[in-house]
Amino acid sequence: MEDPESTVQLPLPSPFGAKAEVIELPLPGQPASESKQDSTQFQAKKPDNLWYAVYFPQLAQLTESQQQEHLKELAAVLESISSTVSFHPQALICEIRSSLKYFGGINAIHNKVNEPLKEALKQLSLPEFFLHAACPTVTGSLLLARSGHNGLVYRKDNLRSALGQLSTEVLHLSKEQNRRLYNMGIRHLRDIWRLPTDGLRKRFGSEFMNLLKKALGEAPDPTQNYLPPPAFSTSYDLPYEVESLDRLLPIADEMLSHLCEFLRRRDLSMSHLVFYLKHEKRNGTDINMSLRQASRCNKHLLMLLETHFTNLMIPAPVIAMKMEVKKFDAFMSHSESLLAEDKPNGRQYHDNNLYQFMEQLKARLGGHFVNSINTVAEHCPEYATRQIAYDEMEITSRAGDKQKSIPLTPRPFLLLQEPQQLILKNGKLYHSKPITIISGPERIESYWWSGSDVRRDYYVALEQNGSRLWIYRERSGEKNWYLHGYFA
Amino acid sequence: MKTYSESSTKAPESLLDRAYSHIDGIEQDGLPAPSIEELLQRNADLWRGCDMAGQGVHGQSTGYPQLDEVLPGRGWPQNGLMEIISPHWGMGELQLLIPLMRSVIARGQWILWISPPHLLYAPALTQAGINTDQILVVNLDTSCKDALWSMEKALQTKNCGLVLAWQTWLPGKVLRRLQLAAETGSTLGVLFKHRDSKYSPSRLRIQIKDSSSSSADFSTADVTVIKARGNFRPLTTRLKLYQHHA
Repeated sequence: MEDPESTVQLPLPSPFGAKAEVIELPLPGQPASESKQDSTQFQAKKPDNLWYAVYFPQLAQLTESQQQEHLKELAAVLESISSTVSFHPQALICEIRSSLKYFGGINAIHNKVNEPLKEALKQLSLPEFFLHAACPTVTGSLLLARSGHNGLVYRKDNLRSALGQLSTEVLHLSKEQNRRLYNMGIRHLRDIWRLPTDGLRKRFGSEFMNLLKKALGEAPDPTQNYLPPPAFSTSYDLPYEVESLDRLLPIADEMLSHLCEFLRRRDLSMSHLVFYLKHEKRNGTDINMSLRQASRCNKHLLMLLETHFTNLMIPAPVIAMKMEVKKFDAFMSHSESLLAEDKPNGRQYHDNNLYQFMEQLKARLGGHFVNSINTVAEHCPEYATRQIAYDEMEITSRAGDKQKSIPLTPRPFLLLQEPQQLILKNGKLYHSKPITIISGPERIESYWWSGSDVRRDYYVALEQNGSRLWIYRERSGEKNWYLHGYFA
Repeated sequence: MKTYSESSTKAPESLLDRAYSHIDGIEQDGLPAPSIEELLQRNADLWRGCDMAGQGVHGQSTGYPQLDEVLPGRGWPQNGLMEIISPHWGMGELQLLIPLMRSVIARGQWILWISPPHLLYAPALTQAGINTDQILVVNLDTSCKDALWSMEKALQTKNCGLVLAWQTWLPGKVLRRLQLAAETGSTLGVLFKHRDSKYSPSRLRIQIKDSSSSSADFSTADVTVIKARGNFRPLTTRLKLYQHHA
């Protein structure tokens, strides 16, 4: 029973040959009208999906990762006709039933992607040809495409006979399985259809049977839709030149709310945003906003932008504004403070608020002005403390080195960056007032291996005006006295 | 500027509302009105004009019992701005705050140090039992405007439990703005100064005096509460600071 609208047996093109040509779909004319009739008949019951498969045999020579890369490029083309593009070995498959009417038939769809796909292949410096087919099952269309028939099957009922004409090679079986099929005298799929399922399962495994069932639409055939990587960029041309940055804020607010809407739809958040301000006859101004904690709260982003604006000098009036997201992140639901604002006595200390605050600080002061401090296991006093700039801070992984090196003798809260020399007069020490030594000495000797030797005797002292000082005397050289810290 | 003008007009009303809300609400419910004593104990905005310090328990303990005695609410205020005046650095001004800093850290809040006059020395903090992981320092070379801006923002943030800043002189307008920011964020802000200014709107002003009488005495200091909401006369107490120096 030959299906009028299904495939016509055609000579198999050699996929790698130079003469490989795409064979036009044997659709136009009489079968098309019949297909319409068919589809109207069936729509009442249950419209079958129609999967459009594009097969690139030339990809087989490349490595797995290269194939993936190239398929992504090619998938971008197919995105124009369907939102359900899935990846298969050297092939892409998408559902087109839902957009048949929109584009005006399978031929129109094919024509729409034909040129761009070839162009894309050219860009990838691959031979410019591909094989395609469409049928109501994913695997079926893949098999049809592999066969090079460029066939079209509208109805599930016709699948069995249409696939039956294909050679067993299209199944891409292992050598051993191929040999066994050959020895059994099986050359085409229709030969398999005639065999009992149980026996086949025993000889070729359930995976093989599953493949056939999927092809015939008897087993579910789920696909994973390819989602192109997110990208967001928007721009706005101002109707007139704007000199005051504050007047850009309402526009920025709108752009940011678009961005946040986009992020919400894709369930993403972002951590790096760039604003470009365009000026006439001058280079543009970039505003880089990188966040420690990814966000998609437009209020917070607007506040950050406002903070950036306060410090910004623009060389010329702004004529256009552009916004681009540089880095997307997965959205973490806990970063949204749900009810914190509603609580009258804010007893909840969400880290979220803190990060927002620190980002604001950083935006205004610059990263190196905000520091965190840390104790270092170091004998020499001035090296025993370390300031870590906000940009290099790792908030989560700092718990390790606590209490590792607490000096036993008291240390001052405030340490002078440069020790200040004290005056010794008539055997008495002076800073601004006379100094009395309370306790000491504590001998610290270090860095003898480097050029600058540290040999000091530290004392705790009291200045007559009430300051508690940490002073030392050098044990080498001129044996001068220095003030090194305040016990505040 | 916007924040300042807005909040300054609102603040006195809300303050009054808060003071009266207890009384009104309870009478409406038909419950017995609490005694005046009870209200005085709980509410930091109510005090008896004729009494001195030691009313109520709404403060957070300073860790120094003698100091608690002379402070209204028996401790540091929960929020607002306070000034610690010491004629020179290194007179124990930070020693006063060590117990407070420990409790702030234990609550999981952060301490922001805004432009301390010298390098903040981490080993000393560790010695005093203060975890340095929850400490942020704004550099000394930050401009005054930026320092004040970050202080205001920090006071408004609930994650910062304590904001310390070294500013020798600030106009009353700025101080009032900071005071309001501290009230909205229910954060305690501390200003370290060299000289006292009489008409400061800060909630609490404390002075550390040089113990010139006993010059060789390292650890004791005279602490005077110059002004506190709820006190009308300065009170002085002698404290033993530098406890971990023993």
